[in-house]
Amino acid sequence: MTSIPPAGFTRTELVDPFEIHVGPVFEQGNKGARRFAFVIDERHINMRGVIHGGMLMTFADAALGQAAWDACDHANCVTMTMQMQFLAPAKLGDLVEVTPVLTRRTRALMFFRGDFTVRGETIFSVASVWKILGQD
Amino acid sequence: MADMDALPPGAQNISRGGFNLYAGPFWRLPDEGDGARPYALLVEPKHMNSSGSLHGGVLMTFADIAMSQASRAVSGASRCTTVSLTCDFTGPGKLGDVIVARVRVTRQTRTMVFLAAELTCGERTLGVATGLWKILEQ
Repeated sequence: MTSIPPAGFTRTELVDPFEIHVGPVFEQGNKGARRFAFVIDERHINMRGVIHGGMLMTFADAALGQAAWDACDHANCVTMTMQMQFLAPAKLGDLVEVTPVLTRRTRALMFFRGDFTVRGETIFSVASVWKILGQD
Repeated sequence: MADMDALPPGAQNISRGGFNLYAGPFWRLPDEGDGARPYALLVEPKHMNSSGSLHGGVLMTFADIAMSQASRAVSGASRCTTVSLTCDFTGPGKLGDVIVARVRVTRQTRTMVFLAAELTCGERTLGVATGLWKILEQ
C-alpha cells in the first residue's frame, strides 16, 4: 500500500469504513475544484493483474462524493445512479486521477461527471446523480 | 470474516484473490430454477459508509462481479471484460444483510453479452444494474 502522497497531493480525510479499507485517497486544489488520485496496489487488481472494475467504481463514488460534499456544504447526500464506461485497463502502480465536474446543481439534485486518467489518458468515464436528503 | 451460517445452503465462495477477495468474499448460490443466476454477499463492518449504510462502491463491485461471472458462464469464455455498467441505488443496505444479486442475460452475440441484475435483501430492492461485457477469449 502506498500511503505517501504523490508530489503535489495531500491525503484526503476519509470517513467511510469501505473507503478507508481500499484507500488511501489523495487530493490537491481547493474546495469545489479538488483533484483526487490513488495508486493501484496489490489489493486493487484482479487475477489478470489489471485494476478491478469494482475498485474504479468505488474510487469514483468516493471522489464524486467528496465533490458532492463540497457542492452542498456537507449536507447529507446519497448516490442515486452511476453510469460508467471502462475505456482502457490500468495496471499495478498506476496513478489514477480525476477532477469531478459539477454539471448542474438544483435544490435537491447534483449532476456530476468525471473522466479518470492515467498519465493523461482517459481510462474510465462516469456520470452520476446525487440527491441532497431532506430537499424536495 | 463472513459468517457462513447467515448464507443460504449450498453457497460457494467465488473470491480467489485480488480485489474480489479484498472487497468480498462473494458467493454463488444454487440456481432457483427461474433462469436467473444468483450470487450473494454478506454485509460486514468493512462494507459500510459513515451513515451506517452499505457503501455504494460495494454494491457496484458486487454487481460487476456477479455479471462478470454470469457473462463468462453463458458465453463459455475464459476472459470477459466490463465495457459499461449502470447502477441505480434504490435503497440502503444494512450491516448483516445477505444481499442476493440475480443476473439475467438480455442478449448475447459472438463478442458481446448484455446483462441485467437486481440486488435484493429479502423484499427490499437495494439496486438495479445493467451492463455490457466484451468477450476477449473463447
